[in-house]
Amino acid sequence: MALLPEVKKDYGRIKNYVNGEWVESTSSKDMDIENPTTGGIIGKVPMSTADETKAAIDAAQDAWEAWRETPPITRARIFFKLKELMEQNYEETARIMVQEQGKTIDEARGETRRSIENVEVAAGIPSMMMGYNLEDGAAQGIDEDAITSPLGVFGCIAPFNFPAMIPYWFWPYAVATGNCYIIKSSSQVPLTQWSLFSMIDKAGFPPGVINLVNGSREVSDTMMDHPDMKGISFVGSTPVAKYIYKKCGENGKRVQAQGGAKNSLVVMPDANLPRTISNMLASFYGCAGQRCLAGSNLVAIGDIADPLIEKFVETSKKIKMGYGLDESVNMGPVVSAKAKKKVLDYIDGAEAEGAKLLIDGRGAKVPGYEKGHFVGPTVVDGVTPDMKIAKEEIFGPVVSYLRMDTLDDAIEFIHKSPFGNAASIYTQSGKDARDFRYKVQCGNIGINIGIVAAMAYFPFAGYKDSFFGDLHGQGRDAISFFTDRKVVITRWF
Amino acid sequence: MVEADFPECTSFGSVIRFALELEKVSAAVYDELAEKQCLASAHDAFKALSAAHRKRSDILEHTRREKLNEMILEPIQDLDSSVYVLDAKVPEPIDIVGAKAFASKMEDLSSKFYSESSKIAKMLMAEAARILDKMGKENEANKAKLEAL
Repeated sequence: MALLPEVKKDYGRIKNYVNGEWVESTSSKDMDIENPTTGGIIGKVPMSTADETKAAIDAAQDAWEAWRETPPITRARIFFKLKELMEQNYEETARIMVQEQGKTIDEARGETRRSIENVEVAAGIPSMMMGYNLEDGAAQGIDEDAITSPLGVFGCIAPFNFPAMIPYWFWPYAVATGNCYIIKSSSQVPLTQWSLFSMIDKAGFPPGVINLVNGSREVSDTMMDHPDMKGISFVGSTPVAKYIYKKCGENGKRVQAQGGAKNSLVVMPDANLPRTISNMLASFYGCAGQRCLAGSNLVAIGDIADPLIEKFVETSKKIKMGYGLDESVNMGPVVSAKAKKKVLDYIDGAEAEGAKLLIDGRGAKVPGYEKGHFVGPTVVDGVTPDMKIAKEEIFGPVVSYLRMDTLDDAIEFIHKSPFGNAASIYTQSGKDARDFRYKVQCGNIGINIGIVAAMAYFPFAGYKDSFFGDLHGQGRDAISFFTDRKVVITRWF
Repeated sequence: MVEADFPECTSFGSVIRFALELEKVSAAVYDELAEKQCLASAHDAFKALSAAHRKRSDILEHTRREKLNEMILEPIQDLDSSVYVLDAKVPEPIDIVGAKAFASKMEDLSSKFYSESSKIAKMLMAEAARILDKMGKENEANKAKLEAL
């Protein structure tokens, strides 16, 4: 079928959004924005300077007092307006995302919906940020109140895999609770946030309350070093998450730093095979395996191993690759040539370690998109727990197939992983499911669900090396992260 | 004749796109029938059916926006949509008997598509399945309306 139209062929050099205005960066350094499907350049993103970042932080700090004093219900109204604008531009947002990130249009629409959901939840801020009190709580005639207050300026450093949604895990809650905010979008995929800021611009936020600074490490480091920044939210790889956690800690800032993942999907002998396989396909191949919640290890327990892999391979071969603007496409490319090389290196390594490729996606070609960074669905059998491909994050559509005797073996294998983002079990046994959710040390547990993506009103983060911090993104945790409690004890003479 | 582009149904989005194409063709066919002098006696009925199909397009758009959930966004591999592609070309010349037969065949094909896609959607999204199922039943009701003309 015909492709859905691209929103634009060339977006030009994108601007920062600071103090309620679009600002051209003075930086002499730009990065090309590549469409990973076509290999074409669709825009340029400036590597903004430290001074430009400081100007955004200053604007946010200046805006803070007045914004904090704005009644929560008035703040909430602006989020209702923003939701309306996002609904109006829903399809355009999704298509820009496909252009710059490579995911399919359904995936991009789903991501847009999730971004909107966070705005909807944040619009409930008058109820969510209420404190509590107790008459005679301190002593007879002495009342005690706990008040929830915003702190100042926060920021987020966003990754490439969810260009729209991930900043929305954080900023709506920060701003709704009365803080001001700086977003540094991923320099690989800055267009979606840039587009969303055109809606923010129209929604009615006072100047300086919400700002966008495009760039790279210089922007991030400036945000983490600046004394007016109260906290940072980050999503990306584990080494960078560790760096950010350490640096923010040294600078006395709040931090929530989400790192890498190596998610196992465990299939018990009693699993409903057709439904399980269909669901796992979405987990392993959705977003070309570039979700932090993507399945990576497929662990078969007992005698289901042979029928499972036979059927899984058969269905994997039917995954249709192509440009995500074709609605019949199931999987797009990975985000860049560098990302593709990393994935291919892991497949090469697995082969060298003695694993067997049941499907080899290394030579994937999509007619008409020869410059696209496609890696086909890849299924590697004979993987053992000590192999690199079973332990490290690949971030591509690669399935490492492991065979184990018991559920306890699988749980022990998951325990040994340094990561703890997500794990899933497919079973019809309530007891096995209960054991799994009880014992497995991961932030997100799936029971017959392979993509354990917490909704906006639930917290999202992993355990172990998948997360550095304590309060997770979204929901009530986000309210706590962006506010502090003040206790007031009152006696009237 | 209306241009239609029926996709291969391999994803939730493509199923909804296919359905939108069905609705577009159906609405256009009824509009064309309504404009024919020789079918003037059925003008209002054809116009009403056209409006009903356009309204269904809105419902489908809403379904795609509101029901699409990434967690259950599974590939669809068992729906051969090629058998449900509608013929948008109204035969010429045509009388009321021929028009009813042509439209009834169109409704029947749509009904079968919705029935089949509803079964597949049920595994993914129960709410979406209900909407598709309802549309199939409406196609059946439209056939009855045509019969009564």
